[in-house]
Amino acid sequence: MTYVEYKQLNPFQRFAHNLKKFIVNAPRAIANFFKAVGRAIVKFFTGIGKGFKNYGVTFVKGDWATKLSYLIFGIGDIHKGKYYKGILFFLTEVLYVLYMVFFGWTYLRDFTTLGTVETHMEFVNGVIPKTVYGDNSMLILLYSVLSIVITVVVFAVYIANIKDAYRHQVMRAEGEKPTSLKQDVKDFLDGKYHITLLSFPVLMIGIFNILPLIFMILIAFTSYDKTHMPPGTLFTWVGLDNFASLFDVVHSARRAKTFIDLTEWTLIWAVVATFSNYILGMIFALMINKKGIKLKALWRTLFVITIAVPQFVSLLLMNQMLQTNGAVNVLLSEITKQDVQIQFFNTSAFMARMTVIIVNCWVGIPYTILSMSGILMNIPEDLYESARIDGAGPVKTFTKITLPYMIFVTTPQLITQFVGNINNFNVIYLLTGGGPTTEQYYQAGQTDILVTWLFNLTMNSQDYGLAAAIGILVFIVCATLSLIVYNSSKSMKDEEAFS
Amino acid sequence: MIKSYKFRRHLANTFIYLFLIVMGIIWVSPFVYLVMHSFRGEGLIAVDYLIPKQWTLQNYIDLFTGAGGNAALNFPRWFLNTFIVACFSCVISTISVLMVSYAFSRLRFKARKKFMNVGMILGMFPGFMTMIAIYYLLKAMGLTQTLVALVICYSCGAGLGFQISKGFFDTIPRALDEAATIDGATKNQIFWKIILPMSKPIVVYTVLTSFIGPWTDFILAKIIMGDNRPYYTVAIGLQLMQSADFINTYYKQFLAGSVVVAVPITILFLMMQKYYVEGVTAGGVKG
Amino acid sequence: MKKIIAILLAGMMAATALVGCGGNEGSSSASGSSNSGSSSSGDAAKIEGSVVDYSYFGDEDNIKLKVWAPDATVSLVKKQIEEFKKVYSEKTFDISVVAQGESDAATQMQNDASVAADVFSLPSDQLNSLVDAGVIAPVAFKDQVIEANSEDTIKAGTIKDTLYAYPETNDNGYYLVYDNTVVTPEQAQTFEGVLEACKAAGKKFIFDAGDGFYACTFAFTAGAKIDGLEEDGLTQKFVKYDEDEAVKTLQAFAQLIKDYKGTFQSLNVKNVASGFANGTCGAGVDGSWDTAVNEKSLGEKFGAAKLPTIKVDGEDKQLVSMFGYKYIGVNGSSKFPASAQILAYYLAGEECQKQRAEELGWGPSNKNVQNDPVVKESKVLQAIAEQGKNACVQVNIASTFWTPMGNLGNKLVADDCDPTDAAAMKKLLQDTIANVRDEG
Repeated sequence: MTYVEYKQLNPFQRFAHNLKKFIVNAPRAIANFFKAVGRAIVKFFTGIGKGFKNYGVTFVKGDWATKLSYLIFGIGDIHKGKYYKGILFFLTEVLYVLYMVFFGWTYLRDFTTLGTVETHMEFVNGVIPKTVYGDNSMLILLYSVLSIVITVVVFAVYIANIKDAYRHQVMRAEGEKPTSLKQDVKDFLDGKYHITLLSFPVLMIGIFNILPLIFMILIAFTSYDKTHMPPGTLFTWVGLDNFASLFDVVHSARRAKTFIDLTEWTLIWAVVATFSNYILGMIFALMINKKGIKLKALWRTLFVITIAVPQFVSLLLMNQMLQTNGAVNVLLSEITKQDVQIQFFNTSAFMARMTVIIVNCWVGIPYTILSMSGILMNIPEDLYESARIDGAGPVKTFTKITLPYMIFVTTPQLITQFVGNINNFNVIYLLTGGGPTTEQYYQAGQTDILVTWLFNLTMNSQDYGLAAAIGILVFIVCATLSLIVYNSSKSMKDEEAFS
Repeated sequence: MIKSYKFRRHLANTFIYLFLIVMGIIWVSPFVYLVMHSFRGEGLIAVDYLIPKQWTLQNYIDLFTGAGGNAALNFPRWFLNTFIVACFSCVISTISVLMVSYAFSRLRFKARKKFMNVGMILGMFPGFMTMIAIYYLLKAMGLTQTLVALVICYSCGAGLGFQISKGFFDTIPRALDEAATIDGATKNQIFWKIILPMSKPIVVYTVLTSFIGPWTDFILAKIIMGDNRPYYTVAIGLQLMQSADFINTYYKQFLAGSVVVAVPITILFLMMQKYYVEGVTAGGVKG
Repeated sequence: MKKIIAILLAGMMAATALVGCGGNEGSSSASGSSNSGSSSSGDAAKIEGSVVDYSYFGDEDNIKLKVWAPDATVSLVKKQIEEFKKVYSEKTFDISVVAQGESDAATQMQNDASVAADVFSLPSDQLNSLVDAGVIAPVAFKDQVIEANSEDTIKAGTIKDTLYAYPETNDNGYYLVYDNTVVTPEQAQTFEGVLEACKAAGKKFIFDAGDGFYACTFAFTAGAKIDGLEEDGLTQKFVKYDEDEAVKTLQAFAQLIKDYKGTFQSLNVKNVASGFANGTCGAGVDGSWDTAVNEKSLGEKFGAAKLPTIKVDGEDKQLVSMFGYKYIGVNGSSKFPASAQILAYYLAGEECQKQRAEELGWGPSNKNVQNDPVVKESKVLQAIAEQGKNACVQVNIASTFWTPMGNLGNKLVADDCDPTDAAAMKKLLQDTIANVRDEG
């Protein structure tokens, strides 16, 4: 289709055309994605190879201080007069050794078995039972992960230390002096400003997000479940057993059916919930921000109260209002003068799902209004001015300026919301608790999405290994999807379009 | 021609007003119900009518004095705890979100895209699976059952929420940066003196979202606080009032407590809305 | 030092001896006690009532303990602990009582037992998971406990031949509670009577059919009773039952619910007390934990009875419910294991149970207190005790039990449920049982 033909289409046809294009291109996009992942892996290993080579070469070329840096961090830097950095390197090594000796190694040494000493009972005086705790598999796993991550970081520091030592050696050979602390600080506020900005957040995320995440991923490969609960009993590595049991349609047909059906509903839910919020929220925001509409602050406030009330309160409130004896039925009864008892959650799956989606609009639209309003007000006024000079009407300015601008700015938000909805625990759990129930599913109801099912599995049956395996599968789908969409979206490709 | 245009605009505006009024009523009515019943004097949990028959302040009085009930439920203390945690975590989160967004939007460095991609997908794991790990990490630091632990939990992951503010920063013209660089400003000065003052809407957005977090989380906070009721936040406290042991006698206090929690946040929203409008004029890009 | 080693050795010998006769069912408690008698050095160690000899403390002193008690009992437990300190005046104690809901207690024990209480109360259904996680210590003074408490509570507290917790109550169940101006005691005997009376008065009968804890009544009454776990320790075992008979019972339930649509309401159990308070509820099924608030709401009008009967094929069939007990447990990682055991033993003892029966209206597990006039004259406790005879014990419940049972209840009360369709009912029952057992 040529550009001219495209321009002649009406918006719906254009949307259909774009959708078709997206779907047709999707396989290639997915293929490209995995190719990129493959390339990254290859690059990683060639990088390691190169690293080893440099490691040896540097050692051969290094002077005594550089050579000593291979053993004691920071010696090279201190020798060349870069004292503060050398001392920092050295301190890292000292702290690492102390950590490993007094804490890390006591756990790390059991990492391969996750503990062998079993908990047993002793009787003091022959009567008083005393539990003598053995190894705690969970703590071994967690603190081993911590130690491994720390080791990787320290190894990076170690390599940096060697490189730095050699760099300073070369600099001295060329008669240059190392930079002073003052110069370095200045550099960190300008040229290397990204390091200054990112180091603190990255450190926090590393400890409290990435570490627990690695832990959880590893749990999927262990036998951590109801019969293997630390500290009473040990659990150990089981390879891919948990994943295998998920797809075992022969022995656990109900489980497999639950998994498939819930996946389907989760996707439907995520799509509908995201787009209903996005489109309706945009309409609301446009109305409120339309020129000539007064009391803008009042309207925004009305809607925004939903955000101000904690979700578990507002959703529990909604849950109670929608019960058979709840406020909504009472109101309807009073209006119709009949005894109305609509079952919102208990009988019909369709009814319950519609209710959840509508209530989710009630919860989610204010968020969209809030962010859209901020963006709407930020559209450069001169864009509108020039459009007006060109004689564009309100519809045209909207489709040509407002809409593209909004979509450009909010694409990332749309993706986060989509993924957020896949993982939207609160709305489902607090509103319906998964209901209506069914005998078709294993430990799940008809509005349960995968996350709430996971929650049931961990809370009710302590199937941590299985739950972690499902969590990983959900994650892979989410991550692949959003990486593809995000990286092929316009706002990512030309980040500077509106600058 | 002009008249009919004006007429059409009026018609459209009337329609919009009507729509907003109806929707506004739908949006607010659950909270009107909530507020009304927090003043209800009679009944326990459910009543089969909409408007309370007896109006009383007793629920609020009981909530704050702990009178007529359990001394272990100390709502004023919980409120203070939450406020402290919210303030600290809001400051830390806002700063880290802005730092990360600025770095990704304005600075160009090695592995920037990789960092962004990793940052984006990290938040996609179902969070509650990792809670027990977070608990034991905090325990290794000796922080469990403290408010510091809550501040850490609520602000540590904030950097991952960079997408929206990065999208916002992307719309600020780079010409401004370039002009400042020519004038000899460092990246640091550009961040604090040029970008930040122009970003009030997104700062407000970030402040609000991060301030609300501590008021709403009840799962992770409960795991960290355990049996240490004096250090509970309002969310765990209200959740406790919802539990089977309490709900019959504490339901109305629970409603009152919900109102008390909602009020400061709503006021904050109202105040911030002023800045919101200011942000428009200040952030108006005329370069 | 030598002493400690000697004690440890003796203890280990006793432990191995216990393990050795673990397979020998039934006799383990007897042989365990004979071991404890012979191996301990102090054969003068005496136990009188709920008080034990100081020698059981070993070398523990300056004892610091934390006790978790449900909110309603905190002040009473504090009083009892003061008495406990007086009884053992030779030792110094620092005992704190922290209010903690019972089900929450078990969750916290599993999350991190090392910061949990040394002594805590728990409902019987939590016992399994606590034992699995190895965070609860077995009972030390089991001979005395077994002798003093009713057989059912001991049986339910015993897992793999080890008694794991001190019985505290035998009242953790639900019963029929009614407004006696609406329902007469005679009408309260039959389900049909209760519903008819409520309908006549224009009031609701509330039963939480969506919650497996209550809804399992349908299955149990139909004959599909539970019987512990299979040998894998995971799968729920059911007794053999007559399927046709069971289907007929379910049909009878469905028919009755359909006939009294509008009167029979499946609502959260918390609506019972609310309904009494505002006069919209005539009767309901509620548990011992809500007795106080129901009594307060109804005042003089309060009536209690065992669950009613239902007419199946012209025969009155007693409703069978889920029934549990409460226990006092000792944390396995307690720093003062002996003192914690002694305190738990004291708190679960006769005197303390009597105080709880008098002040809180809790049904005792102790055989002597069960015959106490306070208990004998309590309408509620008698109704519960009566229901306890027609109940499945809430112990060894598979984690997969509750959701399918709740679904069974939901399906029976649903608008589109057809009571005459025996085939559909049969399939529902089969699916429910299969789902509980995680089959197919």
